[in-house]
Amino acid sequence: MVFNSLTFLVFFAVVLLLHRLPIPWTAKKFNLLVASYIFYAAWNPPFVLLLWASTIVDWFIARGIYAARDKGRAHRRAWLLISLAANLGFLGFFKYGEFLLANWQALMASFGIDYVAPAWDIVLPVGISFYTFQTMSYTLDVYLGRSKPLKSFLDFSLFVTFFPQLVAGPIVRPGQLVPQFAAPKQATRDQMLWGLGLMVLGLFMKVVIADAGLANVADRVYGATDPVGFIDAWLGTLAFSGQIFCDFAGYSTIAVGAGLCLGFALPDNFRMPYAAIGFSDFWRRWHISLSTWLRDYLYIPLGGNRGNEARTYVNLMLTMLLGGLWHGANWTFVVWGGLHGLYLAVERWIREQTGVTGDPASGWSRLTLALVTYLLVNITWVFFRSDTFEVAGRVLAGMFGFAGEAKAVLPTIYIIKASVIVAGIVTVHWLMRKRELEDVVTRAPWWLTGFICAAMLIAVIIAQGSGEAFIYFQF
Amino acid sequence: MKHVHEQDEVTVRRIPATRFAAIGWLVLVLVIAAMAAWEWRMRTLGLRAGDLDDSKWHWAVERRRLESGDHDGVVIVGSSRILFDTDLDVWEEMTGRRPLQLALVGTNPRPVLLRLAEESSFSGLVVVGVTPDLYFMERFSYLPQYEEILDFWEQESPSERVGHRIGLFLSRHIAFLDEAYRLAPLIERIDIPDPVGVRRPYLEVWKLAETSADRQHRLWPRLETDLRLRDHARLVWGPFDGSGPAPETVTRAIAESRQAVETIRARGGEVVFIRAPSAGLYYENEQHFAPRARTWDRLLAETSAFGIHFEDYPEMRNLEVPEWSHLSRESATRFSRAYVEALERKMPWLRKDISTEPEQ
Repeated sequence: MVFNSLTFLVFFAVVLLLHRLPIPWTAKKFNLLVASYIFYAAWNPPFVLLLWASTIVDWFIARGIYAARDKGRAHRRAWLLISLAANLGFLGFFKYGEFLLANWQALMASFGIDYVAPAWDIVLPVGISFYTFQTMSYTLDVYLGRSKPLKSFLDFSLFVTFFPQLVAGPIVRPGQLVPQFAAPKQATRDQMLWGLGLMVLGLFMKVVIADAGLANVADRVYGATDPVGFIDAWLGTLAFSGQIFCDFAGYSTIAVGAGLCLGFALPDNFRMPYAAIGFSDFWRRWHISLSTWLRDYLYIPLGGNRGNEARTYVNLMLTMLLGGLWHGANWTFVVWGGLHGLYLAVERWIREQTGVTGDPASGWSRLTLALVTYLLVNITWVFFRSDTFEVAGRVLAGMFGFAGEAKAVLPTIYIIKASVIVAGIVTVHWLMRKRELEDVVTRAPWWLTGFICAAMLIAVIIAQGSGEAFIYFQF
Repeated sequence: MKHVHEQDEVTVRRIPATRFAAIGWLVLVLVIAAMAAWEWRMRTLGLRAGDLDDSKWHWAVERRRLESGDHDGVVIVGSSRILFDTDLDVWEEMTGRRPLQLALVGTNPRPVLLRLAEESSFSGLVVVGVTPDLYFMERFSYLPQYEEILDFWEQESPSERVGHRIGLFLSRHIAFLDEAYRLAPLIERIDIPDPVGVRRPYLEVWKLAETSADRQHRLWPRLETDLRLRDHARLVWGPFDGSGPAPETVTRAIAESRQAVETIRARGGEVVFIRAPSAGLYYENEQHFAPRARTWDRLLAETSAFGIHFEDYPEMRNLEVPEWSHLSRESATRFSRAYVEALERKMPWLRKDISTEPEQ
């Protein structure tokens, strides 16, 4: 079920109630586990089997790896390969099967072989990329000797399935979450209210800003079939930059809030990414749990920056290309990842050449660099948002003034709302660049916090979200 | 938001030092007060609790009733006209049967009819509402939310089904829960000049209907009294784009219809077509866009189906069509009575006092 649905409202109220009953901690954890399965099954009940399979496979394989710790590396690696084959097998079958088949078909066609693949017709299980990476991190940690297998199957199952972050992250590591299952957890009054406040903030970002404010602006521009003009192309892309941020960061904020209401702490996934100065800074602020996952389980095992310069650039590019592919089975995502890899490589090269490591001292220089970073990030969003390269080409042509005879697509009200909202988002990011929300709330008068929170909740209710799915569910 | 962790350390979250209890009470009071004011305002605009909106979720419920056999042997497919202009109570009163209402606003009913013929075992009476500018077109829907509806009734998730029930419960008590009066459409109704050639949000369809249980639609009363809303609706219908469906498109539409009629008849069912009234510029556009001789008359002739065109029945003419496309409430009831009478004359088995199955 989605967070922005009436079903979730009722579900969460019941879960909170059960979690506050005077029953043993193990029973509460069992409740949370069952609730998490219900949460997932509410989309498509049979896909719970995938969760179970993923849980069971990694539970036993991690134990196998640990038991083989004295039997040599090859033995442990064999266990690991089984885990990778199972997890990536599920992911490959459900997420990339059709993509691979289509590309195989295209390859055969280029050799003049007319191969027609059978219809795939496989429904993508919601959030499969997220929980697959989460369970893989557990097995990989045991393989790499970073941790031991868990002793409690219940704790492990709950780690894999914990509903607030199950389908769209943050992707948590065992060390971040599992120890929290050891002792009874119940939110204090302040934790509960802060958690509810975060949920309101996340819902506001999703329902009001992303869905009601920006989605149709981006849809108009990216749905156009004629050339798109300069202003429309930029506004459509800027609107998407705001939409994707508020959609995804909104989800993460609700997840953190829901976890907190239950007494659990989940890590941040975003830190004002549109105030980033440079791309390494951007990736420390955007989808942090994925970027750190890719760093720890892909970039570093590939060699990271431990080899020569060329090898470092190759590792960087490979990591970002695969990171792009993680988002979806489409070459446009690969290009998106490749562009980010290129940006990171160029930034690294510039820093190496100039010896500059930190941010510029001048405020104006920082602001200028942040805006340049934001604009370049927007170029990448074109590929992320476009279903095809034809659409991406059309929008990019507009953004760079090559659209020719463009037709206007954005009505005035869309232009106004996209401009106001995006300017607001970028300004807030800049002002909050080095601040934490907790500090801002601590310093603000309590009544101001109350007014803002009430205004957001009222806007959410009046916007009456129609339960639009979060964009990242498809990944 | 603070994170105090590395990826392998237990996450800890700071809680701001502020007066949470006071904030909580303030939020509660403000939200309740604002929502009460909003509800009052929406009621003064003519919204009422019990108006359930319409959506693919409502349609899915009715479509599943068809599949499960929970129906009285009559199903209506079509566009908004047959949806608004049919009084299900009149049907029930006259025939003892309450039709399943599967018509959809802004859509071409042909795909629904075809799937009904090919993918269901329905063998009762199918009433097909024909709105010429939709029925004889290629595309299914003008509305993105309905594009996937033909499959949605099977794919609707358990969560969506539960959410739909909760939404219905709330809509029965709260007036402001109305799709047409959400924040986004309200903002987009501001009438400001737009660049030339842009599809204007101002010209999107505003609220036209009230909906009660089993998708009984009726023209929203304000359309009958509020000239601004009525004129806006007329403006939206405006002049039609293009020159109407190509002859081959009409031929294909009729051929598909014939195939559906034959399939349903082969298993003992029957299909009738109904052309509900339109008026004003909309009617003139239809005459120009899809003239009767080229569309309706051919449809009946080539499908050998019975049809009711409002122009052929005196009691169906001169009804009130406030915004040119949908009948007023009172006229919808009169129209329903008239067309059900015409159906009963043609198919006596429909009459309550006879109550036999369709003639084979």
